[in-house]
Amino acid sequence: MKEKEYKILVFRFDPLKDKDYSFQQFMVPVNGLRTILDALIYIRDNRDGTLAFRSSCEQGRCGSCAVHANGAYGLACEMPLKKGKNVIRPLAQLPVIKDLMVDMSRFWEKYESIKPYLVRKNNELGQSYENRQEMDGMIDCILCGACFSACLMTGMNPEFHGPAAYLALNRFLKDERDAISEQRLDLVKGENGVFRCHSMFNCNEACPKNLKPAENILDIKKSIL
Amino acid sequence: MKTYDVIIVGAGMAGLRAAIGCVKHDLRTALISKVHPLRSHSVAASGGINAVLDNRTFRTENNTVLRDSQELHFNDTLECGYDLCDTDAVEMLVSRAPAMIRELERWGCLFSREESGNFALRRMSGARFARTLYASDKTGRVIMNTLYEQCIRLRQNKPDQLRIYEEWIVLKLLVLNNTVAGVIAMDIAGGKPEIFYAKTVIWATGGSGRIYGRTSNPGTHSGFGMAVPYYAGASLKDMEFIQFHPTQVWDSNILISEAARGEGGFLINRKGERFLETYEDSRAEKEFSGRDVISRNMRREILSGRGVDAKYVHLDMRHIKQKKIWDRMSGVRELCKTHLNLDPQKDLIPVAPGQHYTIGGIYTNENAETEINGFFAAGECACSGVHGANRMGGNALMETLVFADRAAEYAARYIQRKKPKTPKEIFFEYALSGEEERIRNLLSGNGEIRVSEIRKRLNATMDAYAGIFRDGMGLVEAAKTIKELNQLYNTTLHVDGDSARANYGLIDALELRGSLDIADVIIQTALKRNESIGVHFRNDFPAGPTRLRHSMCKLRKGKPDIRYTPVRSKAKPVKPLHVLAPWIRK
Repeated sequence: MKEKEYKILVFRFDPLKDKDYSFQQFMVPVNGLRTILDALIYIRDNRDGTLAFRSSCEQGRCGSCAVHANGAYGLACEMPLKKGKNVIRPLAQLPVIKDLMVDMSRFWEKYESIKPYLVRKNNELGQSYENRQEMDGMIDCILCGACFSACLMTGMNPEFHGPAAYLALNRFLKDERDAISEQRLDLVKGENGVFRCHSMFNCNEACPKNLKPAENILDIKKSIL
Repeated sequence: MKTYDVIIVGAGMAGLRAAIGCVKHDLRTALISKVHPLRSHSVAASGGINAVLDNRTFRTENNTVLRDSQELHFNDTLECGYDLCDTDAVEMLVSRAPAMIRELERWGCLFSREESGNFALRRMSGARFARTLYASDKTGRVIMNTLYEQCIRLRQNKPDQLRIYEEWIVLKLLVLNNTVAGVIAMDIAGGKPEIFYAKTVIWATGGSGRIYGRTSNPGTHSGFGMAVPYYAGASLKDMEFIQFHPTQVWDSNILISEAARGEGGFLINRKGERFLETYEDSRAEKEFSGRDVISRNMRREILSGRGVDAKYVHLDMRHIKQKKIWDRMSGVRELCKTHLNLDPQKDLIPVAPGQHYTIGGIYTNENAETEINGFFAAGECACSGVHGANRMGGNALMETLVFADRAAEYAARYIQRKKPKTPKEIFFEYALSGEEERIRNLLSGNGEIRVSEIRKRLNATMDAYAGIFRDGMGLVEAAKTIKELNQLYNTTLHVDGDSARANYGLIDALELRGSLDIADVIIQTALKRNESIGVHFRNDFPAGPTRLRHSMCKLRKGKPDIRYTPVRSKAKPVKPLHVLAPWIRK
């Protein structure tokens, strides 16, 4: 017999009400649902409107819906539903506001702490073709937070900036127009900085855009040494 | 009560640019957004942004050398918009565009480049020239990153000047005696509405595409963003004009960037023919025709049985060189791979037109001022009149920047020159208690109809009757359905949960009210306009207009009241294009 329903197990937790988290089971129809996000939206629309999760563009561009589903990090809108059981959890390392909605402030704080903006050397505009080409693998980051959660160091050390911040940092280090690369390196070479990365490559694995934060971290380490 | 000089609602491209402008004018700024700024849908904009920077020359087929100019950009915009554009606004857009690009460039925006180091340009549909700057097909993401970076910088340098309220939804715009007095907004995670007082408010909430089912807009574009100022007395202009984008993937509604056609992709029917050649209005320019023309002809092709499965046609990119796809359309490639499991190099992509852009919106003049004192609007939620009856590809991104910049400047002037009185405390408290009561009522209602059921019927109605082709009978039918749905909403709506804290079901219910009212405005204005122009095509009135006019819809006594105003067109004669560029029209 062909399966007509997917089994969904969703993490539920309301820190103000519940003592502990639980997994709630929902059955959703196979027909018309393709991704984890489709299932979540279906549940909110038809079963339980209080299920909290973030979503916006639904096409893998905005980065709102990063979750841990079926054993891997990724964007809910890009992860296909599988037959049998689907287990959906929130991003790790970040405090839960409710259900799958986590408080991303630490992630954003760390991103902002590396001064992610260009400080120009001079007023001369323009950028060379070669320099622009170098940035191609770095500008695709949508700051979804998947790498931050997959990284073990962000969990152990709250001061650690996390892979996404380092990827952004390397984009500015590589930029030929930027004037403060020395200062930028000073920001991250301390004991809680880039050298705490153990090169576990969890971030590469978690990245839904197939970017390579780990290589960029190695790059930064090299620049400091 | 939170007090600021200016409150900006919405943190997409227009909102962020307005925030930067306001802080530079030394205003204490609050930026309120339903999502984190970098989750706004501006990040999904792919095609590019129009500006005439260096008057580049092009060699045409018969070896004449042509030079692009602001005048040509102006003309293209007007031609694309069927002359329903307000020329003062278009002039503002065209003349300030280069400065906006140079500003982004100064902030380090990573536009794609040619090997010479110049900006790479691509041609978008409706344009005669390649004048659209891009960053692969992730232009929106790159510009949004740049703007947000500048906001971070400003916030680090002047922490008191800019405060960003992420994941706060604005429930009400406060207006007293036609003068703005702030907003009421609710923290989604906290679930408690609060009063924000400011002498000026800049509105930048984007489009309202989710009124339709087949749309490229995100779940957040419910129409509520346009409804809130409409309830407060702002006029909505030209709401019947809804742009449909030709290449949205069938079924999943994911937008395939216009870059795909710009870089040489074809549209083919079931038999593999490039059918755009067979229609009179798209014969000459084929895939570069206006979006309205291509969408209509695609729908005609599908209706006449030459589509695939009677549902869609195919986008053929198999002949485009691999390097071009990797360099200029990496996003399209990724989308096809992850969402469709297709390879544009080998497979045909199923596409059909879908809702893409709300051309109409809150009425503004060329300086982003609305009819309400101290209230400004910019971006897709506004209608300054630059797009006329059909938007040219690449103009929307530029519109957000130019008019957000204007809004910031005029907000600063307004605060300096006019000293509106602060309303009495009771005014704010009364408004706040109204919103609190609304939320309480929604949560305590004991109906059985779910929000999603009403929304589903609304989407189906709009897709069927207010889509690419419209007719009087269908629109009347649609208006009836909306009335019914309104009644259901008011009497038997069911909302889960007993608290407003992080209750997205409740947010959906709040926004649905806006969706229904904006849908009604679209239907009523479409019904009243007995003519076909641009994206508004009436099967029962296929002839063009005898007189160019804008529709203006205002809420009077609880009902949309539609009047017409003439197009703001300066006497400046527009040279017809075939005089400037004779090679275009044979």
